[in-house]
Amino acid sequence: MYKDFNGNKVYFSTGGLNLVNDKETLCFVHGAGQNHYSFTQQIRYFVSQGYNVVAPDFPGHGFSEGNQTTSIEEDMLWLAELLAFLKIEKATFIGHSQGCLTILELAEKKPELIMGLVFVAGAMSIPVNDFLIDTSINNPEKAYDLMVTWGQDSYGSFSISDWPGHNHLAEGNAVMKMNEPSVLSTDLKSCNLYENGKQAASTININCLAVLAKFDMMTPLKKGLQMVENIKQCDYKILECGHFLPIEKPKELNSLIKNYLNSLK
Amino acid sequence: MSEKYKFDTMSLHSGHVPDKETGSRAVPIYQTTSYVFKDTDEAAALYNMEVGGHLYTRISNPTIATLEQRLASLDGGVSCVACSSGMAAMHLVVTAICSSGDHIVASNKMYGANINLLQHTMTRFGIETAFVNPNNLEEIEKAIKPNTKLVFGEVIGNPGLDVMNVPEVAKICKEKNVPLAIDATFNTPYLMKPISYGANIVIHSLTKWIGGHGIAIGGAIINGGNFDWGNKEKFPTISGPHFAMNGISFWEEFGPSALTAKIRAEGMYNFGPSLSPNNAFYILQGIETLSLRMKKHIENTKMMLEFLKDNEAVSWLRHPDLEDHPDHKIAKKILPLGSGSIIVFGIKGGRDAGKAFIENVKLSSHLANVGDAKTLIIHPGSTTHSHLSSEAMKMSGLTDDMIRLSVGLEDIEDIKIDFEKGFKAASKISNKRS
Repeated sequence: MYKDFNGNKVYFSTGGLNLVNDKETLCFVHGAGQNHYSFTQQIRYFVSQGYNVVAPDFPGHGFSEGNQTTSIEEDMLWLAELLAFLKIEKATFIGHSQGCLTILELAEKKPELIMGLVFVAGAMSIPVNDFLIDTSINNPEKAYDLMVTWGQDSYGSFSISDWPGHNHLAEGNAVMKMNEPSVLSTDLKSCNLYENGKQAASTININCLAVLAKFDMMTPLKKGLQMVENIKQCDYKILECGHFLPIEKPKELNSLIKNYLNSLK
Repeated sequence: MSEKYKFDTMSLHSGHVPDKETGSRAVPIYQTTSYVFKDTDEAAALYNMEVGGHLYTRISNPTIATLEQRLASLDGGVSCVACSSGMAAMHLVVTAICSSGDHIVASNKMYGANINLLQHTMTRFGIETAFVNPNNLEEIEKAIKPNTKLVFGEVIGNPGLDVMNVPEVAKICKEKNVPLAIDATFNTPYLMKPISYGANIVIHSLTKWIGGHGIAIGGAIINGGNFDWGNKEKFPTISGPHFAMNGISFWEEFGPSALTAKIRAEGMYNFGPSLSPNNAFYILQGIETLSLRMKKHIENTKMMLEFLKDNEAVSWLRHPDLEDHPDHKIAKKILPLGSGSIIVFGIKGGRDAGKAFIENVKLSSHLANVGDAKTLIIHPGSTTHSHLSSEAMKMSGLTDDMIRLSVGLEDIEDIKIDFEKGFKAASKISNKRS
């Protein structure tokens, strides 16, 4: 769905349906260099489960126009303003990778918006090595390739997919190419600069869920577990896959989110 | 972490790891029509394409999915749909993108059935095609109209062996915002990957070199994921509301894989040109040796070209690797490993000599297929086009002395001996005439 928001055309997927006032809302927050397609196998599934779904493309990502945000704090503010614009007062936020930093920040600064929090392949900080940042600046397509191959477990090498006929390595590259070329480097720098994750995590006092990836090379498992330890009430599950967990283990993730949502009722 | 495996490795492994329950190393043949749903939630999710999985073999099947994922990885595509034949693949592409009132620009040097589909069948449904010389870039550009929804050609034309300048045509298509679909049957991804040259959709007849053994008919569509379908007015079937699934836009929900989602949700669902799981398995066996076979096909083709070039019974010889071929330069550029294993040549003595040649070879099989492991020949003047006059054949770009040879994997010396027998019989006709 497209809307004019803050003077720019902004896209957020709702799974093809209009938002309905009396339904609970799930907000899916994508990671660095990604867009709403990170959650292709979650968005329409949860719409069918009876939820409003909002999966925005952040400015410059996917179909959204506008100047890209340059820090996690700006990401958080943009997201909060978008929800206010959509008249959504409360939601459960599901963040992937950089999206986890955004929702951590949101949880601290705008707790009134939070109904629930799901951290997917996340951590409290995501330092990025200089080589990847430099490559993302000088040769974005090479950086996409590196991220897609690092980000997927070895199954990606074999084009193994639950989704018949899909080749996730090429598809991951194609999704990243849909963004403006400067998007990835700006996102990676935002991740690298963010230092408030531990403080933000310590302020959360609702029950959360973390779904972590055993073979995650982007946000290593041990960093995900550190985040779990810093949140007062955070259940966690470890799935045998890589960083791109929402496409590698979609059914398992959906089932965990569904159980978590039921636990909030 | 994933590795980026090379072609030979992908040919053997893509789309499959040993079966978790049984340890089966080979790809299992899932000979089933349907799949038991775990619960109603799962059934609904599969019907709505909310998550991946299988619900009915007309739409998808695990053995076929392995083939699709292998083909997508070999051609560098984001996704693939396999179907019952190469012609089914072409029909699925046309009907996924075009509706009545739309227009296609297509090569006039294509396989006859491709031309028939566009010229005679699709016109009945209000889809018009402008046929153009595949290497006249100006003509292609001029033929593209506001309602043109697809540009279509073959890397190597059948049977004329014209080579399309895919990178230049792709530039024009990108500029005009029209998807470029390429039939890559004659080259296979081993010789050339059209997506890497800017094409958006690749079509294969899997029946030919990819299957490679003349035992299974099949087709495939590989989606490059590199076309912007976002213009709802121009591409309403991909980016406009779908008639089912709450009126979703495939482009908004599936992005780079929007085309394949559309084909699976509408084409496979409503037309039903599904591949059998057994045929998918046979084709997978062929793919395992694709690079080995293609190397030998090319090696044998080179030797056969040398043999035919100096043969007195041959009046003319055509193959893109020959310097006198009009598309030799572009072939060298986009097909550096070789321009396929089809050779066409003229036989002295015309139609009757051609007939005599065909009837006197033994090892070379006289049939209407190409890309088998075995050497195949056909004389259009006495078979597929026997009802046409010499003049009418010329109009189709054929001559009545023309032989089409699909070079196989035999010891090429044996094929040469076989051909000598055919030439001897043909020369008797030719000598009588002179």
